[in-house]
Amino acid sequence: MSDLDRQIEQLKRCEPLKESEVKALCLKAMEILVEESNVQRVDAPVTICGDIHGQFYDMKELFKVGGDCPKTNYLFLGDFVDRGFYSVETFLLLLALKVRYPDRITLIRGNHESRQITQVYGFYDECLRKYGSVNVWRYCTDIFDYLSLSALIENRIFSVHGGLSPAISTLDQIRTIDRKQEVPHDGAMCDLLWSDPEDMVDGWGLSPRGAGFLFGGNVVTSFNHANNLDYICRAHQLVMEGYKWMFNNQIVTVWSAPNYCYRCGNVAAILELDENLNHKFRVFEAAPHESRGAPSKKPAPDYFL
Amino acid sequence: MGAQGEPPATTASQRVKVYHLNEEGKWDDRGTGQVSVGYLERSEDLALFVIDEDDSETLLAHRIGSDENYQRQEDTIISWRDPEYSTELALSFQEIAGCSFVWEHIRNAGKNMHFSNNSVQESPQSVTEVTEPLETSGMSQANEEAFNCLSTELRELPAVELSTLPAIIKIVAESGITDQMRVAELIIRDQDFFPKLLDLFRMCEDLEDMDALRTIFRLVKGIILLNSPQIFDKIFSDKFIMDIIGTLEYDQEISRVHHRAFLKEHVVFKEAIPIKDPSVLSKIHQTYRIGYIKDVILPRILDESTTVNLNSIIQGNNVAVISLLKDDSNFIKELFARMRSSTASIETKKNLAVFLHEFCSLSKSLPVVNQLRLFRDLMNEGIFDIVADALQSEDRRLVLIGTDILLLFLNQDANLLRSYIIRQEGRPLLGLLVKGMLTDFGEEMHCQFLEILHNLLDWFSAGSQRETIIEIFYEKHLDQLIEVIMLSCPPKGLTTSTTEKSAAGDGHGSQVVIKPEILTNICELLCFCILHHPYRIKCNFLLNNMIGKVLLLVHRREKYLVVAAVRFMRIIICRNASDEQLLSHIVKKNHLKPIVDAFVANGDRYNLLNSAVLDLFEYIRKENIKTLIMYIVDSFWSQLVKFEPFATVSQLKLKYEQFQNKEKIIPEKCINENSRKRYDERALDKEEEDYFNEDSDEEDTASDSSSDVQQENQTSLPATSCHASLRNKVETLGGDERSTAPLTLKRKSNYDEEVLEPTKKQKLDDDLSNRDNVLNTAPESVCNPEAESSKPLIRTLGEKFSEEEAQSKEQRSSDDSPSTSETCQVTDDGSAVAPLNGSDSTSKMIVDEGATTGSCVP
Repeated sequence: MSDLDRQIEQLKRCEPLKESEVKALCLKAMEILVEESNVQRVDAPVTICGDIHGQFYDMKELFKVGGDCPKTNYLFLGDFVDRGFYSVETFLLLLALKVRYPDRITLIRGNHESRQITQVYGFYDECLRKYGSVNVWRYCTDIFDYLSLSALIENRIFSVHGGLSPAISTLDQIRTIDRKQEVPHDGAMCDLLWSDPEDMVDGWGLSPRGAGFLFGGNVVTSFNHANNLDYICRAHQLVMEGYKWMFNNQIVTVWSAPNYCYRCGNVAAILELDENLNHKFRVFEAAPHESRGAPSKKPAPDYFL
Repeated sequence: MGAQGEPPATTASQRVKVYHLNEEGKWDDRGTGQVSVGYLERSEDLALFVIDEDDSETLLAHRIGSDENYQRQEDTIISWRDPEYSTELALSFQEIAGCSFVWEHIRNAGKNMHFSNNSVQESPQSVTEVTEPLETSGMSQANEEAFNCLSTELRELPAVELSTLPAIIKIVAESGITDQMRVAELIIRDQDFFPKLLDLFRMCEDLEDMDALRTIFRLVKGIILLNSPQIFDKIFSDKFIMDIIGTLEYDQEISRVHHRAFLKEHVVFKEAIPIKDPSVLSKIHQTYRIGYIKDVILPRILDESTTVNLNSIIQGNNVAVISLLKDDSNFIKELFARMRSSTASIETKKNLAVFLHEFCSLSKSLPVVNQLRLFRDLMNEGIFDIVADALQSEDRRLVLIGTDILLLFLNQDANLLRSYIIRQEGRPLLGLLVKGMLTDFGEEMHCQFLEILHNLLDWFSAGSQRETIIEIFYEKHLDQLIEVIMLSCPPKGLTTSTTEKSAAGDGHGSQVVIKPEILTNICELLCFCILHHPYRIKCNFLLNNMIGKVLLLVHRREKYLVVAAVRFMRIIICRNASDEQLLSHIVKKNHLKPIVDAFVANGDRYNLLNSAVLDLFEYIRKENIKTLIMYIVDSFWSQLVKFEPFATVSQLKLKYEQFQNKEKIIPEKCINENSRKRYDERALDKEEEDYFNEDSDEEDTASDSSSDVQQENQTSLPATSCHASLRNKVETLGGDERSTAPLTLKRKSNYDEEVLEPTKKQKLDDDLSNRDNVLNTAPESVCNPEAESSKPLIRTLGEKFSEEEAQSKEQRSSDDSPSTSETCQVTDDGSAVAPLNGSDSTSKMIVDEGATTGSCVP
C-alpha cells in the first residue's frame, strides 16, 4: 500500500495527517491543480456535491449514498472548510483523493477557501488547535489559491460555487483570470464565488453578503443561451430540502451539509448525472453521532508549565 | 502583629471601612483604616489586618478561612460571617483595585494556595472574578437574607449514599437555571459531600460495581455542568482532582479510557529549572489536569459556558504562575545562566528552550502591559542570543522553537526584535533568518522564516528601526536570495527555440538541488518587497538585472514556479505601470521574452500558466501601457499570432495598430513632447544611469543570448533602440516633472492618451468598457502603494489589501449590517428561518450563508 493510500485510509478514520505529510500532499496537489483550467472540463457520469463545511462524518454519509471515489466520479463545488469540527480532516481527505485519483474527483473553490474567511469561521483556529501552529492552515490556504473556479460538464452544465458575474458573459472570459490569488473583494473571480440567484431581482442587484451580486432569471437565461448551456449548478446557499431549482429549471442549488452547523435541521443532497446527463437527486441526513460536540484532543505528552 | 505583607501600591486602594452587623440587623461603622494581607504570627495562615488610620490600633485581625462564606458585593465590598466576632463583618473599600486584591487573596486562601504578596499584587486586574448571581444594592439586611435563604423548596441534599445517588442526580441534572445555583450552593455548603462521594467511588471501584460507577459518572458530570466556580475550586483541588478524573472514566456511552493511569504513568512533568514554590507546582499540575478534563475527557459533554469558565480558571492559573516566576529574579537568572552554560548537555538545553517557549507562550495570558514588560526583560536578559544559538542548532526541534519564540515576540511588538537586530551584535540574527529560509529542513519549517521576515520588513510600522533593517536586508541579503534562484535554474544559452527551452528545463533543472518550495518562498518574499518597498527595490532591478535573474524560474520544470515568475513580473508591472524608466528597462532587457516563450511552449493547454499570462497581457492592454504593447507586438507577434483567437491577444494587436495609426496621422505633435521629461520619485544618479544604460552589461547573465536576438528585433523599432542614447541628453534638459510621457514615445503623437494621469486613463477605460474593467480591478488593487494602513489581523498574516478595498469593504459592511435579518429569506424558501432564529449564535452563524457582514466580507 502506498503512502498515499495509507493516508487516505487514515483520513477516512478522521485521523489528521502529520504536518510534514500535509506539506508533501499539498505540494503534490499543487502540481496537479496548476494544470487545471479556470473552467475545468468534466465528463459525465458525475456526482455533484455542494458545501461540506468540515462536517466530516456527514461527508462519509455522502460517500455512502453516492458511492466511493474513484468508483463514482465526483465534482465538489467548494466550501470544504469552516463551521464544522473537522475541516482539516475533510479537506485533506478530499485533497488526498484528488492527488490519488486526479481524473475522478474535481474540486473547485468556494468563498470559504480563503485566508480571510477561514480566520473568522473556524478553519484557522482548528488548525492551530490540532497542530499547535498555523503551518497547516498556511499550506492549505496556499492550495486554495490553485483550486479551479468552475467546471463545465459535457459542455452543457456550468458549475460554480456562487453564481454569475456582470463581468462575465461568456465562459471564455473566465480564462483571463489569474486565479492564483486570495479571493479578491470584487471582480469576476469574487463574483463567481459569492453571487446568488434571486427571484426578486431583475438583472443585477446588490448582494446583502457584501460581495458578489444577486442576479435574476433573465441574467441566467441569457448566460445559458450565450454559452449554449442546459442549466447552471451551484451551491453556496443553505436549502432545507438539500436542493432547489430556480428560474424554470435554469439553475439549481445543491447543498450537501445535512443539519448544517449541527443545528439547522436541514437535509442534504447530491446531484447524480448519468452519461446522458439525466439527473437524480440523492437526499441524505446527518450522521447520527456527530452532532454532539467537539472531538477530543490528543493530550500533550509532557508539560513544563 | 505579624503583618509581613507589603501594602499594595497606593494607600488609597488600601483604605477601608470596617462594619459589624449588630443585633438589630444594622451595620455599625467600626472605623476606617488601611487593610493589608499577611501571615499571622507563627502561623502559615493568611490573615486580613486593618490598622486604624487615626490611632494605628488594630481594627481587625481576621484569619482567612476556607469555610467562611465570603461574599463580594458590587465591586468594593467584601462580607463574611466571622466566627471569632460571632457576627457578620464587612469591609467597604475606597477603590475597586484594593477590593480585587484582597478578594483574590481570600479566594486563593480558600484553595489552600498561599501566595507571597508581591506576586498577587501584579495581577489584581487579571483576577477572574466570581460573578455572584445576586444583585447587591448596598449592605442591607435584605441582601444578607437573599444570600442565606437560598431556597424555599430545596433546603438540603440527601446524604450521599449509594441509595440516594439517583435522587441526587435527579436534583442536579433536572434543576432549572435558578435551581442550579441553589443546588451548587448546597453542595458547597456540605463539607462532606465530595469526601463521601469519592469514598463511595473508591469503594465501588474496589467492588467493580459498574452500575454504581456509571451512576457516579452521571452525577459528577451533572455537577460539572452546574458550572459553579466554587465547586470547580473544590473538585480541582489537589485533594480531589485525581479521584474526580477517576469517576469520569466510567462514561457508559464510550468504552473506558484509563485517564488516571495515563496521567500518572505517561505524562511527564518536566522541570527545566526546579520550581521551589509548592503552590506554583500545584497550580501547574492543576492547569494541565483541568486542560485534560476539558479537552480530552469531556469535550463532547461540556457546554459553551462551562468551557469558558474552565478556560478562565486555566488562564488565571497561567497568570499566577507566570507572574510568580517572572518576578523571581533568581529563577530567570538561573534559567539564562544555564542556557548559556557550555557544560549543559544538548538535552538540557533543549528542555530549557522548550521551557522558555512555553513561558513566552503562556505570558499571552498576562495583561498586555505586563507581557510587554516581561518580553522587554527577557530581551535584556539576552533571549535573542539564545534564539540565535537555537537557530544554528542541528536539532530541528530547537530551530523550530527558536522561530516560534521570535514569532511570539513579533506578534507582541515587532520593534523589540528590530531594535535588537539593528544593534551590531544582533545583525547576525537577520542573516540566520535569511539562511533559514534558504535551508532545506526536510519536511518542516516551510513558512516560519518567511513569516518572520515579512513581519520585520513590512511597511505597517514606520520608524527608523524598520528603515535600518530594510537597508541591511537589501545590502546584505537580497543577493543571497537571487543567488539561490540562479543556482537552481538551468543555465542560459541552452535555449534557441522555445520548445527546446522547456525541454531543457526538464533535463537540467538543478545543478544545485533546491527544494521548489524554497524557491516559491523566495519568489513570494520578492513580490512582498516589490509591494512594500517599491522604490528601494527598483535600484536592484535597474542595476543588478534582478528581474532577469528571477525570471530564470520560468525554466523550472515545476509549473507553479513558472507561474510564480509570471506573477512576479505582473506585480512589477502593476507597481510601475507609469514608470517609463522601468518599463524601458523591461523592454531593453527583453524581460517578457521568457514569459512569452513559456506561454507559447504551453500551447493550447488551458491551465494556470495560460491564464496567468493572458491576465498579464490583459492588464497591459487595459492599462494602456503603450511601451509594453508596442514591445510585445513588435517583438513577439510571430509567436503570438496563433493565439489570435483569444480576445486578449487580438485586442492587444488592435491597440497596437491604433497606436501606430495615430503616430502616422499627427507625427509633429510629439516634438513638443520632447522637452518633457520624467523624474522618478527616486531618480538614479548620473553614474547609475550611465551604468544601466550601457549596452554590454556583465551582470546580464541571463538574457545575454536572448537580448542578442532582441537587438536585431529592435532595429526595426526606433523608439526603443534610440532610447538609451537619447536618454542622457534629455535628462540634462530638465523639464516638466508631471509628464508621465517617456522620451521614447515623444516622437509619437497620441498626446491624449499618453499624458493622461493614470486615474484618468482608468476612467476612460471605465467608460469604454465598464464590464471588462470589473474583471481587472482586483489584480490592480493589489498594487496600490498606499495600501494596508492598519489592519492588525491581516497584518500578521501578510495579506495584502489596498485602501480602496478596505474602504469598499467598510462601506459594504455598514451597508449590509441592517440587512442581516433578511438573509434567511434570501437563503431559501423561508423554512430555514425558524430553526435559525433559535439562538444568538445560530442567527449569527447564518449571516455568512445568507449574507456576510463586517469581518467576513472578502
